[in-house]
Amino acid sequence: MNCSKLQQCRKIVIFFLQFIKNNNKFAHDLKKTISSFYSRMNTITKNIFKLALVAGIIFFAASLISKSVDIHQLKVDGYSAETIEKPLFGTDEIVYEAPKEVAANDAVATRVKWSLLLFVIILIMVIANAFDISALTAKLTGKQAINSNNVNKWIMLIFLVVGLSATAWEYAVHGKHALLGNASSEHGAIYDSMFNITLILTTIVFVITQILLFYFSFRYAKKDGQKALYYAHNNRLEVFWTIIPAIVLTLLVLRGHQTWRSIVYADVDGTKSTNIEIFAFQFGWNARYAGDDGILGVADYKFISGKNKLGLAYEPEVDSLVVELKAAILSDQQALDNLPKTLESLKADWQAAKDMQDQEAMSSIKKEIEEINCGDRKDDLNASIKRKTKQLERIASIKKDPAVYATYFTKAEEDDIVTQELHLVKNKLVTFKFRSRDIIHSAWLPHFRAQMNVVPGMPTRFTFMPTKTTKEAKAENGPDFEYYLYCNKICGTSHYNMKMKVVIESQEEVDAWLKTQQPAFKPMPAVIAVPAVYLKDSATMTKDSSKNITKKKLALR
Amino acid sequence: MSTETLTATHTHQDEHAHHEHHEPSFIRKYVFSTDHKMISKQFLITGIIMGCLGMLMSLLFRIQLAWPDESFGFLESLLGKWAKGGKIDPNYYMALVTIHGTIMVFYVLTAGLSGTFSNLLIPLQVGARDMASPFMNMLSYWFFFASSVVLLSSFAVETGPASSGWTVYPPLSALQKAMPGSGLGTTLWLVAIILFIVSALLGGINYIVTVLNMRTKGMSMNRLPLTIWAFLLTACLGLLSFPVLLGAGLFLIFDRSFGTSFYLSDIYLNGIGAMTNSGGSPIMYQHLFWFLGHPEVYIILLPALGITSEVIATNARKPIFGYSAMVISLLSIAVLSFIVWGHHMFITGMNPFLGTVFMYVTLIIAVPSAVKTFNYLATLWKGNIRFTPAMMFAIGLVSFFISGGLTGIYLGNAALDVQLHDSYFVVAHFHLVMGSAAIFGMFSGIYHWFPKMFGRMMNNTLGSIHFWLTFASAYMVFFPMHFMGLAGVPRRYYQFSLIPEFGIWMNVNIFITVSAFLGGAAQLLFLYNFFRSIFKGKPATQNPWESNTLEWSAPIKHLHGNWPGDIPAVYRGPHEYSRPDRDLDYFPQHEVGNGEPVHYEAPAETQKTYASDNKDSATKVFFSSFAHLFLLKKA
Repeated sequence: MNCSKLQQCRKIVIFFLQFIKNNNKFAHDLKKTISSFYSRMNTITKNIFKLALVAGIIFFAASLISKSVDIHQLKVDGYSAETIEKPLFGTDEIVYEAPKEVAANDAVATRVKWSLLLFVIILIMVIANAFDISALTAKLTGKQAINSNNVNKWIMLIFLVVGLSATAWEYAVHGKHALLGNASSEHGAIYDSMFNITLILTTIVFVITQILLFYFSFRYAKKDGQKALYYAHNNRLEVFWTIIPAIVLTLLVLRGHQTWRSIVYADVDGTKSTNIEIFAFQFGWNARYAGDDGILGVADYKFISGKNKLGLAYEPEVDSLVVELKAAILSDQQALDNLPKTLESLKADWQAAKDMQDQEAMSSIKKEIEEINCGDRKDDLNASIKRKTKQLERIASIKKDPAVYATYFTKAEEDDIVTQELHLVKNKLVTFKFRSRDIIHSAWLPHFRAQMNVVPGMPTRFTFMPTKTTKEAKAENGPDFEYYLYCNKICGTSHYNMKMKVVIESQEEVDAWLKTQQPAFKPMPAVIAVPAVYLKDSATMTKDSSKNITKKKLALR
Repeated sequence: MSTETLTATHTHQDEHAHHEHHEPSFIRKYVFSTDHKMISKQFLITGIIMGCLGMLMSLLFRIQLAWPDESFGFLESLLGKWAKGGKIDPNYYMALVTIHGTIMVFYVLTAGLSGTFSNLLIPLQVGARDMASPFMNMLSYWFFFASSVVLLSSFAVETGPASSGWTVYPPLSALQKAMPGSGLGTTLWLVAIILFIVSALLGGINYIVTVLNMRTKGMSMNRLPLTIWAFLLTACLGLLSFPVLLGAGLFLIFDRSFGTSFYLSDIYLNGIGAMTNSGGSPIMYQHLFWFLGHPEVYIILLPALGITSEVIATNARKPIFGYSAMVISLLSIAVLSFIVWGHHMFITGMNPFLGTVFMYVTLIIAVPSAVKTFNYLATLWKGNIRFTPAMMFAIGLVSFFISGGLTGIYLGNAALDVQLHDSYFVVAHFHLVMGSAAIFGMFSGIYHWFPKMFGRMMNNTLGSIHFWLTFASAYMVFFPMHFMGLAGVPRRYYQFSLIPEFGIWMNVNIFITVSAFLGGAAQLLFLYNFFRSIFKGKPATQNPWESNTLEWSAPIKHLHGNWPGDIPAVYRGPHEYSRPDRDLDYFPQHEVGNGEPVHYEAPAETQKTYASDNKDSATKVFFSSFAHLFLLKKA
């Protein structure tokens, strides 16, 4: 708040009021008329009048300003305000579409946005000023300012009514998306009924307690000459509202226990369901099917290599990994020995870059020199050698002991099929065996009410039965509908774009699809989600739609 | 500031010849002060500054969520390389989310709330000259300050601040190469948190000792104001749970910097290769973290509830309904909060049986919470309510406590959590029940005790407007998020426009962001009111709210030792408002009475006059007054 401006404003008001008060007879009469009119209004009308006045001023000012500011002249570097075509407010019926082409009259929406910002700023200024003026007026006219207790009491009531209506609206409009329609899995139906019971109960309690809270606030607001009831405790009442919630919660928790059991104990001994491995990594998913033998081969993080992305215990690949590792250790060792030479050549490069006045090259070379000078490069190389030696030792120890060797290299992995989509059979129990390569991820299939964390070093699993095919779901939700598996545990830069398509089909369709996939010992490259931001340069940023991004990404594969 | 006439109070004090004080130097008075009132002001102002920063961060990432495909030039000029082309970098988005959470949970709602009001009120309300150890108290603030500086300094690091969420789960936070923020930024985060824990422990032990040992004559435990009960239990929670986080943090530092494997096992990192770590478990970190993390929720909430109890009783001019029930429910919440941490981990793959156990104990917590809510409602019933800003924020807290608490019943249920875990439903839940409720408790406390802190009054009208804007905007921001979560929108996603399924929420996201900006703007009103009133507010009277508690008997001008002369003795409980045997509607604790018992029972006939047309059952009276709402009969 600008202090001098405030004082100016105050001075004007004082001057104006005193002018009316002392000098001008006409103004004196006018004031008398206004004040008699004003005094005849009761408090509430007065307040409404004042609020309306303030609101009017704000809207007037905001509309004036928003009209006078041409947004196209407000270009800041890299930013042009020509992209918005989605409405600012409105029901969610209007499906958002990413901006396509620049239309000429789009600036209106942008103007609305800017005027909103201005609106907020002006609101603050007006409120602060209005308060100062009203206090001043009260002081000068010697009248009591508005009774704020009464105003607040009424706003309490209004807030209750508006709030409950807004809640009802939310339930009606957004509530219909709740839980994405009916569940597409067997336990999902039980889940939904548990959810609905909780929803009904909590909604009732919510409405009753909120009404009580605001109604009491309204009803028992301060009145002159009224004294509150001295009522410090009532044991019967307190026991009553301890026991009632306790009983309700007991019922809920028992029902919850039942539901929980139906979810987590769907297949305790693992005999009834088909196993599929879900493999998570930064940033993508793979599914691994057991193949013809019905057994998932052993996999281990130690065996992961460029060609063997899931680390299957496939002996030829492991052997070539050992060769690769040995070569890498040698090259690391050489790099370590050559560090002084590298440093000198870098220094020469830096001198050359300096002569050519190439600032960019200079800074990058300088960075490298610093890395070597402070020993970081040496530490990195040493650590790398240590890591690889350890990995070699571990692989060797597996291969040395025949008993251990037998548990790893079972040949069951040879016909395993690694895919980038997840196809499941309708009405068939499936168990996901989760394995993470690096970070904790979480596999969330919201349509199936299924979620489980994927933890490195700790196998987790989740069993469920899909009951609705993708085709059936498309019939319900429109042709663009797809099931997805999302990552739901923060896992790094591209966490937000780490998902896998899920398809529910009949047994025959899944079998036919599996035949088109390649067998395991030549796993296909995994989908890597590159953050969209890195895919395009800033100049084209505003014009690209999300659909374009997806296309580009597909092209990158 | 109310200290300019300290010399005057000094002569006054010297006349009483109780203490021999020297005029402290500027540095000892304002910077390295050992006076609990000054330390509380330091905590408050640091907390407010951190709160503003936390809120600004939330506004920045709200812009990204509302307009994911657009670029804003001002972002680039504000954030530099982190917003190339006017669009926030995904890594920086994560960093903003992380630091927003950390600042709000630890720096604002733990230190800013508990630190401020425990320091101010404990000595003043129990009748002590200062904290048990003023020096430790000073250390507590300065550790907190150092911790804030370290945390904020991570914004100056090349790889950016910690960005693995405010829970900093390993392996993401443990592997320096896993994402940019896991480099130096996370190290600084951990150092900051360790400094913070030291601060919390130094403060907590001080609060406990002061409450237990330094109460004035007559201040028995059942005459303590509920604020003090809340601060005492909060300090106990902190003292028992923060050391666990200290351990967890140290292990994480070891894993990060010294190659140990507490939390790491079987990891192949892109660009690095197979790690040597083996045998650790990332889930162990989650157990340790949430062993603090869940009590932390109540470390945040209990002081707010305590403040609310006091403010509601004072401004409804009624004794708080069911004092003992309130204390018992506070106690049971505190005890239960130690055995429910597993409900944050239902889907980590832990034994399903363990999930069942945690589900049972979690839902038990709803019972004392319900008792508290109903007791607040009963306190308002037939009161004589004055809508001071403090009172309205307290009512707002109760409203949030109900809305957010009820969604806790979904999330505490292991079965329902399978779907709702880490969705926007969770975001909505904890922002209402913990974030908004606690910040409203803090605002309530600031408006209520501002006269005590600064000797001046804040402006009521501005306060009311601040309340209504904040209240409405908080609901507008967080209420729609429930429905987003229910429709399968995951939290901590940087860009929703990449997933067509979330398209229907784009308008809602814009609505939320605009509401957030409205809420942010409302805080400018508060800042204006707060800092203006410190210097130019109306001078406060001795007992502006006509309150009963002991702090209002201390002189308006602060003096070292709180009371000139003897510390007043206490004769009754803190909530003797509107007693039928008195003309005044309040009865200060220190006022000499007729030697009446601790719990004064209103005579039966007085009760009857209020409930004459409803025979005698209080239960009936309570519910009938609700029925009158519909029957439009005068209750």
